[in-house]
Amino acid sequence: MAGSSMKAIKLRIKSVESTMQITKAMQLVATSKLRRAKERMEKSKPYASISREAMMAAVRSCDEPDIPFVTARPVKNRCYVVIAGERGLAGGYNANVFKAVDAHAEGTPYCVLPLGRKAIEKYNHLGVRLLNEEYSHVEGLPVSACYKLTQQLTAGYLAGEYDEIYLVYTNFQSMMSQEVKIEQLLPIERQEESGIDHRNASTVYEPDAAETLKSVVPDFLAGRLYSAACDSFASEVSARRNAMDSATKNAGEMISDLRLKFNRARQGAITQEITEIVAGAEK
Amino acid sequence: MATFHLQIVTPDRMAYDGQAESIIVRAINGDVCILPHHIDYATPLGIGEARVTDGEGNTRIAACNGGLLSVSNNEVRVIAVTFEWQDDIDLERAKEAEEYAKKQLESMSREDRDFTIAEAKLKRAITRIRVKS
Repeated sequence: MAGSSMKAIKLRIKSVESTMQITKAMQLVATSKLRRAKERMEKSKPYASISREAMMAAVRSCDEPDIPFVTARPVKNRCYVVIAGERGLAGGYNANVFKAVDAHAEGTPYCVLPLGRKAIEKYNHLGVRLLNEEYSHVEGLPVSACYKLTQQLTAGYLAGEYDEIYLVYTNFQSMMSQEVKIEQLLPIERQEESGIDHRNASTVYEPDAAETLKSVVPDFLAGRLYSAACDSFASEVSARRNAMDSATKNAGEMISDLRLKFNRARQGAITQEITEIVAGAEK
Repeated sequence: MATFHLQIVTPDRMAYDGQAESIIVRAINGDVCILPHHIDYATPLGIGEARVTDGEGNTRIAACNGGLLSVSNNEVRVIAVTFEWQDDIDLERAKEAEEYAKKQLESMSREDRDFTIAEAKLKRAITRIRVKS
């Protein structure tokens, strides 16, 4: 009896060990990818903030009541740009994104522009209309791809296919925490002037603010999309790193537990043998 | 000479961040030159050459495409779609792009939806080649 349980424990130790090797390797891969992903993310930050500022200034100084990218209209259909991962095994990374979309949509009909294979699979499965299924890689998504995507997005928006566009991505806050964010891309929300920025009112626009907005908004959205993709990828990799880190730790704990059990079983078997021999000798 | 603070950004990087004496860029209605203490100003950019004179008086040229030029309180920002300094341009790639765009245009009529896209491609390629040589 003791022999067979010892064998079973030994087998389990082996299988846990090989799992640990895999999780360890994945953790290392994620760690090395994380450095580059973070670099890309940092580099994409200035454009996102500067372009947003310029866009808001243009919106503020635009006094025409009806500009296509700014004027809100009754919402019949929404479009979500969902950035998820290409693979699983990243803790709750993908699930959190989908959950956020679900909670946000609240029954409003929507279509999805998925980025990342997991997003494509998920919304295909749900039977939601997908605008594009070409982008399964978020890692290293080129800027040019973002331009193509925003061209498609803005064209659909102007044609009235959907009345609001939301961007769903995961914001990289630190190695330990990432947060899903939902941001309205279109229509652009008019923000009340924040006190000091009164000088914008005197800016000269050529030909005028509305024209400027019209030609610049798709470009800026592409930049926003790019920066969100970089952000999301950094989040994905660090989520995977953390998940694999704890998986490796758990595997290590399991192995030491099993070793203890194994040693006990072995000791038990030896003790029993000795007892048997002693009992035989006494007779 | 007086200078102003110039920032040139594209989605994937900050191409320039520092003092400059002047910048010439191609706006949608023609070239615009910005000197220090320009009035607050904003205009969309076209496809063309950009010429930046930095704080030491050295002039560098670049291929600049799309986006926005904004001047606010002597802070000049070029928020471009692409911005490549002369040294960074890949001539072979630009030539290939030129050939490809030309071929595409030949097979299209002016009414085609993709005509303007192909035309812009050709313009970008030509600008890159011109800036490089």
